[in-house]
Amino acid sequence: MSEPLVRTRDLTKVFYEESRGEVRAVDGVDLICNGGEILGLLGANGAGKTTTLRMLSTILRPTSGEAWIVGHEVRNAPEQVRENLGFYSASTALYPKITARETLRFFCRVNRYPRGKVEDRVEELIESFGIRDFADSRVEKLSSGMKQKVSIARTVAHDPPVLIFDEPTVALDVLNAIELRRIIERLRDRGKAILFSTHIMSEAEQLCDRIAIIHHGRILAVGTLQELRDTTGHHYLEEIFVHFARTREPSEAQGEAERPGETGP
Amino acid sequence: MRLTVPIRAVFWLEIQSLLRDPRTLLISVVLPIVLIPAILIAGNWVEERETRAAEALTFRLAVEGERADLARSLLNTQAPNSGESLDSRFQLVSVEDPWEALASGRIDVILEGMDAEGWRQGVRDGSIEPGATDPPPELEGAPRMRLHFHSNRTASREGAQALRTRLLDTREARRDSILLAAGLPAPPENILVVEAVNVAGPEAMEGALLGRFLTLILLGLMALGGSALATDTLAGEKERGTLNTLLTAAARRQEIISGKLLAIMAVAFGIALVQVLNLWFFLGLGIVDIGGAFAVRVPTEAALLLLVLYLPAVALVSGILLLTSAYARSYKEAQLYLTPVLLGLIIPSLAPLLPGISLQSAIILIPIANLGVAVRDVMMGDVQPGWILGAWIVTALAAAWVTRRSVLALEDENLILGERSVEEHTGGEGLFRRRVVVWILVLWAVKILVNFNLPFTDIRLVSLVSVGLLFTLFPLAAILRFRLPVREALALRMPHPGVWIGVLLGVPAGILTVLGVFQLVDTVIPVPTEMLESLGQALMPEEIPLWHLLIVIALVPGIAEELTFRGVILHGLRRRLTPVALALVVGIIFGMFHFSLFRIPTTAVLGVILTAVTLLTGSIFPAMVWHVLNNALAVLAGRDALPGVDSQWFAEGVGWEWSLAGVGLLLVSFAIIWRFRTPYPDVGPPGPPGGAMSRT
Repeated sequence: MSEPLVRTRDLTKVFYEESRGEVRAVDGVDLICNGGEILGLLGANGAGKTTTLRMLSTILRPTSGEAWIVGHEVRNAPEQVRENLGFYSASTALYPKITARETLRFFCRVNRYPRGKVEDRVEELIESFGIRDFADSRVEKLSSGMKQKVSIARTVAHDPPVLIFDEPTVALDVLNAIELRRIIERLRDRGKAILFSTHIMSEAEQLCDRIAIIHHGRILAVGTLQELRDTTGHHYLEEIFVHFARTREPSEAQGEAERPGETGP
Repeated sequence: MRLTVPIRAVFWLEIQSLLRDPRTLLISVVLPIVLIPAILIAGNWVEERETRAAEALTFRLAVEGERADLARSLLNTQAPNSGESLDSRFQLVSVEDPWEALASGRIDVILEGMDAEGWRQGVRDGSIEPGATDPPPELEGAPRMRLHFHSNRTASREGAQALRTRLLDTREARRDSILLAAGLPAPPENILVVEAVNVAGPEAMEGALLGRFLTLILLGLMALGGSALATDTLAGEKERGTLNTLLTAAARRQEIISGKLLAIMAVAFGIALVQVLNLWFFLGLGIVDIGGAFAVRVPTEAALLLLVLYLPAVALVSGILLLTSAYARSYKEAQLYLTPVLLGLIIPSLAPLLPGISLQSAIILIPIANLGVAVRDVMMGDVQPGWILGAWIVTALAAAWVTRRSVLALEDENLILGERSVEEHTGGEGLFRRRVVVWILVLWAVKILVNFNLPFTDIRLVSLVSVGLLFTLFPLAAILRFRLPVREALALRMPHPGVWIGVLLGVPAGILTVLGVFQLVDTVIPVPTEMLESLGQALMPEEIPLWHLLIVIALVPGIAEELTFRGVILHGLRRRLTPVALALVVGIIFGMFHFSLFRIPTTAVLGVILTAVTLLTGSIFPAMVWHVLNNALAVLAGRDALPGVDSQWFAEGVGWEWSLAGVGLLLVSFAIIWRFRTPYPDVGPPGPPGGAMSRT
């Protein structure tokens, strides 16, 4: 089998917080995501989803471990990594003073999209994401639904093979969330490797081809929904999640208790 | 630097956003454009208005006293220079009680004419205070004119002043004509004529005035205009969440920061350009008439020179603003930081206001302040190319440094996300690696302070405190502060036993080599023999027992200095440099702690040898033993306690053949150590640095 588009090995990030001291936000995460696949990262708030995805997108440097995007290691080749991925999150914003068209043009250019093809690409994006009507309005004047379209369009502006969606539906109303999921499925069908983090069980159930359950910075289980059902004997993802979280909780707590004071390698 | 597509994209994004935001547009563009013309025009208007007001003023004047007749006749005399009659400005009024009228403001001045006798009477009864202008005895009988006015009122003050000047002129003219009529008994060459002539001319004077304030105004405007953009660009982006978006784009962080820096620089440069153009327009070409009060002229060459002078200031201000924004986590925080930063920028631009300040002073070393003084000189028409170039270079270097720092700021994850690494909080190895250079500098400063301020001179105490104590406390402090693992930080490992053969062989070889180096130094900078003898006497006074010397000069420094230099300092620097560079650098640092010009090279060579041994064996012990033996041999030789060794060697050198033999033996010793080497772990910069650190 060919090299997966996304792979991590023992990925770890240690933070320091005033109140809690040393925190292993992500602790030895191993993941694989192939082209044409949506891998769901399912976990409660603070489970380490965002930190994992931030390391993959080179915003944060891993404390230890490795991660590859299309064969480029995040620490050694961050620019090549970023050329090959698009990052979308509920908190990533757009520039208010420029128009939708200018936004897309800007992101093509900062992502080194081939120079002569930028204008064609912008037109293509405007067409395929239904931006035509407000392409020349300033972003600050757009409705949240319109902004969402521009945001996704700018995420895929440079046509990267890997896409990361970090809790993208968190601030959206139902209709916009459904629309977004439909777009993500379409992108999957075009062969993109998609990492999708969420804490909403139903969303993971409906959208993801495989689901990784992350808890206290660790991956507890990875598999298709069916595989997870078979392993646990539970039908609903919620029950499955609780099953894993419960079984790993005591040892987790113990593990945490032993760790303070230890410095990352 | 190449202007890549991402750099240009970021640059245009910033400029577009600036131009589309009314607030930033107002502060960064409109205000700077209108300010200087506004100041010029307003200044002119105020000045003209004051002149007109002063001209329009009439002074109500009452004449009093027993010689009122003389006073009136003086007033009616035509002014000797202008031929102007007093009547046009002075309105003679008659009031019943002039003193009351002056007090209540109905009149402005009273001219009181007095006889000499009346005056003397007044002095006697105390109604007149004798003034400083008492006439010489020959003029005892002269009548007096007293001017009474009220200094709180403009008309009264100005009127009295004008009247006084007028009367003095009249008196002088009258006296001259009397003298002439009498056949001028005094030869004219004995008469002194005092005249003040301002050679600076009005242009230089107003040029100096404008030049003094120009940098202040310009810096203020640049800082204000640039800060509007700078706050928005990094701190604002952090707050809005667009920075995360931008940082996941393929552009290098250096490209992002360069684009932003260029945008701020464009604004700051635009502001400087507009100001200089304003001066050139209004004061150089006189295209727009702002009234005639400004005598200063700014010719085209001066305008161009000003622009060039302000270039490094533009870069420096922009870099500082961007750096400030990078350090702030939010818009609000950035604004908080900007106030002191703006003040910090303004203060040096006050330099040209200092009385008598010249570019040919230490001021040339202060960025911005030096440009301020240079600009004042240019505005005064006083251009000294060499000094101005010097000022330019100093500020340009500061700008280059700040620019570099702000480029690095975006590569620091703590600054981007406001999150702190574990090391930053708990100390740790990594933090020590980052701080070690500062720690070395501090140690060096402390060593200087201790060395030159010890209250005692006994070599034993001096050595115990300034070497033993200092170089033991330093590693201890570093270990405690950064929670360093003691064994690793001090390289407390046992080397291969074979290494000791190399060490025993190496010690005398090292001494011969160092003596050779000393000879080499001696040929370049001859070291006076007396100096060496006095140093020998200072280090090894006759009255101190040999075993004391062996302890304080050999044992204590050998152990303590190794703990510091081959211990924590080597440990802290080990990841920054390759092994060869490490040996050289740590050796030279060791040398720099021996504050004597001719001891630095020799101790540095010893330092290089000891560092090399530590790197090869991974252990501090061989270097310690080597160091102790080396110093012990020197002490013994200095006391003539070594059979077959002449203490004069240390003063006169051993001759080239011995030194070469020493070098040869040293190589053999190192070959042995190499044979049994167990290298210092984890040395050298880590592999290819993280791509985020890659630079063009």
